Formats: sequence, C-alpha cells, structure tokens
Amino acid sequence: MSLSAVLPARRSREKGIDGTADALLGLLLAAPIVIAMVALVLFPVASTLWDSLHRVNPMQAGTPFIGLQHYQDLLKDPIVNEAWRNTIIYVVICVTLETAGGIGAALLINQAGRWRRFVLAAVILPWALPGVVNAVVWQWIYNPAFGLLNGLLVAAGLDFEKYVWFNDRTVALFAVSLVHVWRMLPLTAVIVLAALQSIPADLYEAARIDGASRPKMFTNITLPLIRGGVAIAMTQSTVAAFNFFDEAWILTGSSRGTRPILVQVYLEAFQNLHFSYGMALSVLVMFASLAVSLVYVLRVQRVTRLD
Amino acid sequence: MNKLLRTTVALAALALAMPSLAMPAFADDAKPLAGQSITVLLPSGQSPNIASDFEKETGIKVDLQMLSWDDIRPKLITGLIAGTPPADVTEFDWSWTGQFGAAGWYEDLTPLIDAESIKDMPTASIFTVDGKLLGVPYANDFRILIANKDHLAKAGITKMPTTIDELIADAKLVKEKGIAEYPLGVPLSPSEGTSTLWYLMTFAFGGDLFDKDWKPLFTSPDSGGYKALQFYVDMLKAGLIDPASTGLKDSDVHQMFMDGKVTFDLGVGPGWVGAFEDKTKSKIAGSTTLGLVPTVSGKTVSYGLPEALGIPAASEKKEAALAFVKWMTSKDEQIKLAAEQGLLATRTSAFEELNKQGKILDGDVVIEQAGTVGPLFKQGTPTWYPQFSSAVNNAINQAAKGEISVADAVKSIADETAKAQQQ
Amino acid sequence: MELRLSQRILLGIGFTVLILWSIGPIYWAIATSLTPTPDLMSQPIHFFPQRLTAYHYERLAGFGYIASNDVTVALQFRNALVNSIITSVLATVISVFLATLGGYAFARLTFPGRTVIFFVVIATIAIPGYTVLIPLYRIMIGAKLLDTYTGVTLIYLSAFLPLALWLMRSVFQQLPLSIEEAARIDGAGRLTILFRIVMPLAAPGLVAASIITFLGAWGQYMVPLIFSPNKTKPLTVLIPEFSTKNFVDYGLINAGGTIAMIVPILIVIFLNRYLVSGLTAGSVK
Repeated sequence: MSLSAVLPARRSREKGIDGTADALLGLLLAAPIVIAMVALVLFPVASTLWDSLHRVNPMQAGTPFIGLQHYQDLLKDPIVNEAWRNTIIYVVICVTLETAGGIGAALLINQAGRWRRFVLAAVILPWALPGVVNAVVWQWIYNPAFGLLNGLLVAAGLDFEKYVWFNDRTVALFAVSLVHVWRMLPLTAVIVLAALQSIPADLYEAARIDGASRPKMFTNITLPLIRGGVAIAMTQSTVAAFNFFDEAWILTGSSRGTRPILVQVYLEAFQNLHFSYGMALSVLVMFASLAVSLVYVLRVQRVTRLD
Repeated sequence: MNKLLRTTVALAALALAMPSLAMPAFADDAKPLAGQSITVLLPSGQSPNIASDFEKETGIKVDLQMLSWDDIRPKLITGLIAGTPPADVTEFDWSWTGQFGAAGWYEDLTPLIDAESIKDMPTASIFTVDGKLLGVPYANDFRILIANKDHLAKAGITKMPTTIDELIADAKLVKEKGIAEYPLGVPLSPSEGTSTLWYLMTFAFGGDLFDKDWKPLFTSPDSGGYKALQFYVDMLKAGLIDPASTGLKDSDVHQMFMDGKVTFDLGVGPGWVGAFEDKTKSKIAGSTTLGLVPTVSGKTVSYGLPEALGIPAASEKKEAALAFVKWMTSKDEQIKLAAEQGLLATRTSAFEELNKQGKILDGDVVIEQAGTVGPLFKQGTPTWYPQFSSAVNNAINQAAKGEISVADAVKSIADETAKAQQQ
Repeated sequence: MELRLSQRILLGIGFTVLILWSIGPIYWAIATSLTPTPDLMSQPIHFFPQRLTAYHYERLAGFGYIASNDVTVALQFRNALVNSIITSVLATVISVFLATLGGYAFARLTFPGRTVIFFVVIATIAIPGYTVLIPLYRIMIGAKLLDTYTGVTLIYLSAFLPLALWLMRSVFQQLPLSIEEAARIDGAGRLTILFRIVMPLAAPGLVAASIITFLGAWGQYMVPLIFSPNKTKPLTVLIPEFSTKNFVDYGLINAGGTIAMIVPILIVIFLNRYLVSGLTAGSVK
C-alpha cells in the first residue's frame, strides 16, 4: 500500500496541468488489459477459490459447503507432503545449478570476443524451444539402453551400461532437475550478462593499476555489482521451479519419489476425480508461488527506486 | 456476474473473430439423420477413413478429434466436470468404468443396443455398471504371450511354455545359449503397464486381487499377488529380467522385443503384432509367435482391457451419436478396421470371420485366449481404481529396485487401497 | 587484456563445455529424426547415424514413399504447422499492441489505481494453469469459442499480456522524458506522441516483447490440448499423437519435434540482439 501511495505522488510532479485528461486516457489505454485479465484470469481464480470451499466430487451427489476442510486435510495428507518435499528439493537443486551455471556462462560469454554472437545464440537456444519437445528429447537421452548419456559414459570407459537414471530417488531428482536447468539456465545467464555489461570498464582498469589479481577483481568488483541481477534471476528460477510439471510428468510419470506438487494437483483433480480437493491444493500452490513472486516484485521495485 | 462476463467475452470475441460461413446441409430421405454433424473423440492411430465412410453411409458429418492416449483423459475430464462434454461420442476405457458410472456422466445404452449384438461382444459386461451399459466395446485388448520364434528355435525349444516353470526353464535355456541376455520382458517402472502385468501374473499364480467385499487378497505369502511379485524379484536376481526394466514402460519393453533383445514379451496384447511384424518398424518381423499365458497350474488365464465408445449424457445429438456407435461396432466395420488399422475386433463373429480368412497371426491361439478373457474386477472397475493402480506400480517399482521387501510392497498396496476406499 | 596461454586453454575448454551442453541435446534430436526406425534400437549406440533417411520428414511432408496412413499424417501435420503459426502470430500481435498502450499508460500517465492494477496484473504470472482451467473452459463454452482461433488467442493473451506489459512499461520508463516534453510544448497530443515519437524509439523493446510472446505461445501445450482439440490444433499437441497404443513412432516424434524447434532456432539466430535486451529489460534496469 505504501508503495502505491508514494509512486503516483512522485510521478505527478512530472505531469503537466492536464491531469484529468491524462487519467482518462490512462484508464482507457489500460482498460483492455484489465477486462482481459478480470474475465480470463481473476474471475476463474475466484471461481476456483469458491469451489475449493465445497466438496465437488462428480462421484458424490451434491456440492456441500465444507469451509476450510480441504485445506486442513491437505496439511495432514502424507502423499501431498511428500510432493511438497520433492518440490522444495527441485527448487533447491534448480536454483543452485541455474545460478552457478548461469553466472559461469555469463562470465564466459563476456570473454567471447568475436564469437560472442554465436555463443550467445547457442546458449539461449534451449530456453526458446517448446518445453514438451525438450522433455521428450531428454527422455530419449536418458533411455537406459539406447540413450545418448549412457552411450557417452560407456564410450568414456565408465560402467554405465543400461544404467537407469530414475532408479535411485536422489539421482532421479537430479536427473529430472537437470532437464529443467537446461531449459532455464539461459535466462539466468542473460540477466547476469546484462548486469556484467553495465559495469564500467574503468573500474577494472583502476583495479589493475592498483595491482589487483583477477580473482580479487571478481570478488571486489564483479560480484557486488551483479548482485542485484543475480537476486532477480534467482527469484525467477524459484518461481519457475515451483511450477515444475512437464519434465517430471514426461520423464517419471506418477512416480511418488519424484512427483512435484503440480503433478499431485493433476492426479487428485483429473485422475482420482477429487476435484475440489485438487483445486484447493492448486490454490495453495498459487499462494506459495505468489509469496515468492512478491519477493521478486519488491526486489525489482527497490532496484528501480535506487536509480 | 456471469452474464456480464459472457457479454464481455463475447464482445471481445466479436472484435477479434473472423466471420465464418456455415454451409447449408441438404437432408436425404433415405438417411433420416443426414445433414447432422457430431464430434467424436478417439485416441490417435484410428483409420483415416472413419469419418468419410460413415458420412457416405448415413449422411452424418463426423468431426473426428484424435489425441494421444495420455491426453484423452485430461481433455475428457475437463469437459465432463465443466458440464459440457468435448464430443458426442467419446473413448471409454475399461479402467474408467467405475468412476464414470458413479459420476453418471454417460448415457445408458442398454435399451438402445440390441441384445444380439451385446451377446456377440463378451467384453460388454466390463462396461456395465448396475445393469447400465455405458459403452459399446469397439477395440479389444487382452493379455497373451508373445515370443520370438527365432530365439526359441535357436535354443531348441519346440513348444510355447504353458506353465510358469516351463517359462523359467525356457528363459534360462535362452540365456545360457547367449541368444538373449534378459529373455523375459517385464515393465517395472511406475506406470500403468507395470500394474496391468502384475494383475495378470497374480491370476497366473492362481490368485485374485480382491474378494467380494473388496478386501485385498494379495497380502499373504501364499497368495497369487505376493508370489507374482516374488517371481519378479527372483527373476531379476537370476538375471532373466533386465535390471534396467525399473526404468521401462510397457511400450519400451515392446520396443526391445522389436529389437530382438527380448524372447518373451509378457505384458502385451495381440494389438502389437502389427507393429512387431512391420519391417519398417521392427528388426524381428517374421519371427513373432503367440502362445497362451502360462500359469502355475497350466490352465491359461487372461483378462480384458477393452476400449468402448460412450455417449455423454449431456450430448445434444444422441441419435446421430448412437448411429455412429452402432456403425463402428458393427461386424462389417470391425472387419474393415481390422485390416485398416490393426484393430482387434470386439465381436466374436467378426473375430471368427477374420480368422477364417487367415488374417490373424496364430489366430487359433488368439481365439482360444480370447475365450478365457474375463473382467479384471468381478464386481466392476471400482471408483478408486487410479489410486489402486498407482499404489501397485509404485510399490512394484520399489520392490524391484530392492528398496523395500515384497512383504512391505504388498502391505503398502493394501494400505493405500484401504485409504482410497474410505475417501 | 592479454591472456596467458593457460588462461586461453581454460577459456577454450569452458566454451566447448558450454556449447556441447547447450546444443548436444538438440543435435541428438535431429540425428534421431534422420535415423531409420529399426536403427534407433542399437547397442552400443552410434553418435552419428550410420544410415541417413529423410523418411520421417517425407512422411510428414506427404511425398516419397507413402504408407496407407501417411496422407492423413501429412495433412494433419501441415494443418498443425499452419495453426501454430496463426495462433502464435495472432497472440503476439494483439498482446504486444495492448501491452504497448497499457505500458505507456502505466509508465507515463497517472490514473486512479495505477500501481495496484499493475501489480495485480503482474502477479497473475504466478498462477498455475490448473487453477483456472475448468472455469476458463466454462467461459469458452459459454462464449462458443472452443476450437476457434479467437478463443485460443484470448487465452494466450491472458497468459502473456502480463510479461509483455511489464517489459513495455520498463522500456517506456527508460526513454528520456525530454523528447516527449518537447513535443508537448509544440502542442502534440498524448496519442500522437505515443504513436509518432515514443513507439519508434521503443521499437527494439517491441520486437523483444513480440519474440518472447511468440516463443511462449509457440511452446504452449496444456492450453491448446484443452481448447484447440481439432481445427486449431497446433504442433505441440499433434506430436505426442505419434505415440499410439500399439506403436510409439520415435522417428516421427523427433522429426515433428525438430520442425517445431526450427522456428525458435531461426528466431534466436536472427533476432538474438532484441531477445537479450528484452529478457533483461524487465529485470535489470
């Protein structure tokens, strides 16, 4: 609330005299967006929220109001808790790998010289591909008998003949995460790259004259100045990992050891036909995801205001 | 609120929509329903001629929508829950019978399909809930044993195994002679194919899944289900089942069979023979042979996993929809589809006709096996089938990986089932 | 800065790993799509196809040797390709147009509720698709928009507007105010300023928003699965259909997937510059 109070006030100084005409025009220009979002997102969300307070199960007659019953049950449901746990593990693995890998990739691209355009295009590619297609491609790569990964490892002289990547729960969680990381790492890399480029070159020049070593320049100049970008990239990774679905569903199906929370939503609502129970869970996912996004939005706001 | 919304959406639509012209239809006297149009939702892989052939015969236009098998269910459920089914005739899988019956989503076809036809389709009983026929079977599927003839010949095996002991002995022989490293093809990943094969093996070991009160019958060590799971574990240890199977779905196992890596494909139906014998797809074309499902007692068992056509109760074009259902499940069309898309006929009469024409590989075996096909659940598919199946394949997968014991696995299936039954 | 030999070697290794990691899986998909089906199941695997075949592509295109079902396969594939292009282009044009108007309003004009509306719109990015699926289906049925380009476009619009809006707003915020002020003193109206002066300056941002929206729409799966069952079915929904109950056609799946990848690949190669500026504009100012 405080933000909304502060910002318009600051803006209005920039404005001329015709504030009313501007306000009208502003509302007019924003109207199509507001109408579309209310009709196609906010109204459906409200409808689902309402459903989640009822018992909507097509196999049982009537849809009695049950208040927060579903939400209470969800907290006690061991399978749901296991899915939450998997999701949190995915978030930790994905955010760590995407951030470390993304920073590494950005630093490399920054050094690429005349190959830059080519390297950058190659790095961005995985992000641009349809998510379903890349999950299917990786499924084939992980295939125990005919997959590329085992083929490469065997060719390197390692004992990976017919190794099943989804057998061991820990390995499976990593293997599934890796597919997600492959797709999302480019985003982190690009964001960090932009931050890197905004660092004035004379800072390094000055440090070099002072005789600073490369690692020292990295910790004293580079890291502090890309911190904002890294934080934003990390929050974005977190939201994406929260909404993890395609990769896990295509690679490991309904396996409980690797089932993320959105797959659980799908199974409850569409497989078991406990419709409003599944919808209640999706509402929880939405709130969790919103909470994380809020951190993101506030962060951006702060960065913006610092300028 | 709703009305306002609709107006808003409609207005937005008007602004964006391109005008579309509807072609006027001309009715034909001999075809009372001519000019009507219906939508039909089926899994991909159907013959491309279905829509045009049906229109030629009845004048009814068919908008045939096909989706991959895994995508049919979410699509269907979305529409059914929202109150507007996605089509006038839809796929209706045997495993949905309990849920869809309880939800009352489908039209009772008992009074609309003649008794003669129902008698000709033994699997119709699987789609009957409380005396209501919810779907008319159009594609048959049941479990049978498929083997690689070349492997058997090289190992000097002259007849297909009829008991589990013979199966094990044959598999050992094939392995010892170095013909196949892992002769038994068994899917063990957490997927539906893993569950459906375990049901079959439970029967093969002389057991059943539930008693008449839906109490599990697979928990004690001398039960069929327990022994079936123990069989998997033993065969993995003996090196007769590929340890990589814990990552394989049924379709992956069939691919390995086509590659000549597997001697006995256990979790398969006759429908795959077409792909196995197709040179552009399979390396072993010409060496497929079929046998009866081996059991402990030597008396074969099987069960049906048929697919039917159902008419959602909310459909507005039931007459035309019914005409389509009748047409696609008619004897002539079943015989035609068998040729066009390798469909396994659901009518006994169509099946016998096809066999007489020599169109079915090892047709006598297939017919004999078809005669042993019963429903998986005698009381009908339960509403909690998805939870049960998921518990089964997750537990089998864990037991096969050695994470839990066989006893713990069957116990976890029983516990999960009890929980699902209460909900 | 001059690099020592050891550093150059290290960099070289770094680049090699980065490129292999990014392109390796894509190479493998393309290689698979050019391999005859029976050769796919070979052990040990071959890193380069032993025999090349265009068979899978010929089947998709509908020429060369034609099996009984292939006429339909080719027809379906052509329709799906056209549908993917139409729906993605429609969604892109309309989203970006509305986002430009809205972005300008949110960046430059003061009106009641401005900040709240903006944050609510942006927050919808975090809503999982399943939360809105069924109510949305009811709306689409009610408005008779199921399986129409209009319906799918509207849904894509609601999904991609927030990001495009966010982008366009930050693009406008970065433009210097002085030009607009000068124009106003000359008596130009707001809309004239927007269309004649600001839009040309914001062109790179517009292209970036378009690319991001287009790629997003191109890769959609769940939405068209439910809302575009037939006449408007795109590639992403068609490709999994090559896996049928009695055979999984990996060759067709990979060939179809490769074609579905070509459009994004071309976009990345030729419009990379705008894409990078767009991806970063919303987050790093």
